[in-house]
Amino acid sequence: MTLAANASETRLEARRTRAASGLVYALPALILVFVFFVVPVVALLMRSVLEPTPGLGNYAELLGSSTYIRIFYNTFVVSAVVTVLSVTIGFPVAWMLAIMPARWSTLLFAVILLSMWTNLLTRTYAWMVLLQRTGVINKVLMGIGLIDQPLALVNNLTGVTIGMTYIMLPFVILPLRGVIKTIDPAVLQAASVCGATRWQCLTRVLIPLALPGAAAGALMVFVMSLGYFVTPALLGGTSNMMLAEMIAQFVQSLVNWGMGGAAAFVLLVVTLAIYAVQLRLFGAGRLGQGG
Amino acid sequence: MTTPFLQIQNIRKVYGDVVAVTDVTLDVAKGEFMTFLGPSGSGKSTTLYVLAGLQEPTAGDILLQGSTLLDTPSHKRNIGMVFQRYTLFPHLSVGENIAFPLRVRRRPKNEIDAAVRRVLKLVRLESFEDRMPAKMSGGQQQRVALARALAYDPPVLLMDEPLSALDKKLREEIQYEIRRIHQETGVTILYVTHDQEEALRLSDRIAVFSKGVIDQVGTGSELYADPATRFVAEFIGDSDFLEGKVEAVNGKHADIRVGDDLVIPAVPTHGAPTPGRGAAVMLRPERVSLSQTPNAASSLPVTVVDITFLGNNTHVLTETKARERLSVRLPFGHAAANGLRPGQSVWASWEPSDAQAFCA
Repeated sequence: MTLAANASETRLEARRTRAASGLVYALPALILVFVFFVVPVVALLMRSVLEPTPGLGNYAELLGSSTYIRIFYNTFVVSAVVTVLSVTIGFPVAWMLAIMPARWSTLLFAVILLSMWTNLLTRTYAWMVLLQRTGVINKVLMGIGLIDQPLALVNNLTGVTIGMTYIMLPFVILPLRGVIKTIDPAVLQAASVCGATRWQCLTRVLIPLALPGAAAGALMVFVMSLGYFVTPALLGGTSNMMLAEMIAQFVQSLVNWGMGGAAAFVLLVVTLAIYAVQLRLFGAGRLGQGG
Repeated sequence: MTTPFLQIQNIRKVYGDVVAVTDVTLDVAKGEFMTFLGPSGSGKSTTLYVLAGLQEPTAGDILLQGSTLLDTPSHKRNIGMVFQRYTLFPHLSVGENIAFPLRVRRRPKNEIDAAVRRVLKLVRLESFEDRMPAKMSGGQQQRVALARALAYDPPVLLMDEPLSALDKKLREEIQYEIRRIHQETGVTILYVTHDQEEALRLSDRIAVFSKGVIDQVGTGSELYADPATRFVAEFIGDSDFLEGKVEAVNGKHADIRVGDDLVIPAVPTHGAPTPGRGAAVMLRPERVSLSQTPNAASSLPVTVVDITFLGNNTHVLTETKARERLSVRLPFGHAAANGLRPGQSVWASWEPSDAQAFCA
């Protein structure tokens, strides 16, 4: 009895020692995060409540003005639409990657990675060319007689949504592929023998089982989209700004660190809140615990 | 003559260059427990997958009560199946797993609830309805899978080595459960296994698969007593073979020379015995006896190699002059076992009708 207690004590001790030595190795990274992330964030938070005068004036102005609310609204709607689109488009691709013969899936995977590794500016400019009034897409649509007038696909939120969906796709496909690969195809065969149509296999088995991957990808995309700068700046219009553009304008053009800091802080809080919700719904080990 | 309940007719399945099933034909009666027994790669599982509609046969037909199943996709065949791997839906509880086939059939809720209760009782897991599959043992999961397959009263239940991942004790326990469930429900079962003991314990009849064809179909004792091929003889029960040559043929019996100085007379043969051609004489260990002098109609001088006491019997491994192994199983207390020691020369004897020859 005491022996067993001792043994478990020793084991606990050993684990603690191991954790402590692990901390030593993690120290450089932790210092880096502290000095270059935590400190600036706190500094920015301070400036948002101290400049130009101490108080919550910046926050009141930010959340009280219809112009700024509009920008928050734009940002959330675009991010939500981009998230829904990339999950919808990414799911079949991830499924294909998971079930294709290894040779072909490696190739397709390489294409996806390659597009992800291509310079962001290059890809965004490419979309500008494709989407402009005299661009390929408008020309083709007019050529086949689907439209008479070129569509306004760029310099507005439509352009931003298209461009960002494309850029965000890999961030959905990668985690989804990982989760789908762990699903035993025999489970789907069992569903089929049980009487489930292809559609029922998809909606009642495959999608529920892939949900943790979809949630991880969706979270990644939504949070990244909230603070995305380059694509909205290049493909968006001047009238419909997004949050990151607004922060940049406060800091760079208006040199208003108070407002910039307040906007950045609101974004951070929203992001953390969404992450907390996701953890609660799809957190590690939730599957199979029941109840 | 009435139409058999389930007819498998000349099924053939080819993957690229690989012939998985060469030609399989089999009739199964309603309520029968039929086992497909064979080594891996013999085509037994593929045949089962063709029945389930998860594989398309290259040729042949499957008839259930006289009409073909091949035009019906798997989800409309209304066949039950338990897989080798655990295939419960991990995101659904036990009760929801069992309800799944009825939900996709859009049955009314009270009917679903009644069916779930009925089959949970059948597999004796009444208290597990709200449990998640990940929180259950492998044996429990396979019992739930069985319940799920029976929830919609399928006319045929397919089982593809459902117990192969379980340890021996648990396997035997569930084998008895499966037998009981078969008796209680009267469902027709096609069961795939590579374990002869499992096949013998469960089945009404066994179809022995080898290299994409069925070598023989029969009850366990028929297969044991009168194997049609050497493969069946090797696969069902223990057996030893003495390689020899056909000396003379008399109808279905032949005299076979197994050594320079020994001809075994009048051995029942399988295949076409031809004088001068090779033949293997099969002997079951419990049909052979040992003595100091040749005493039965067929005797062979052998050397004792090893003696193992196994409780109710003693297993004696011997070697012939041609260095072929011959096992002898002596019941407990048999006089021949007294004073036997390795290296000793003795005579192995048997009745001619207990030997069988397989002609090359």
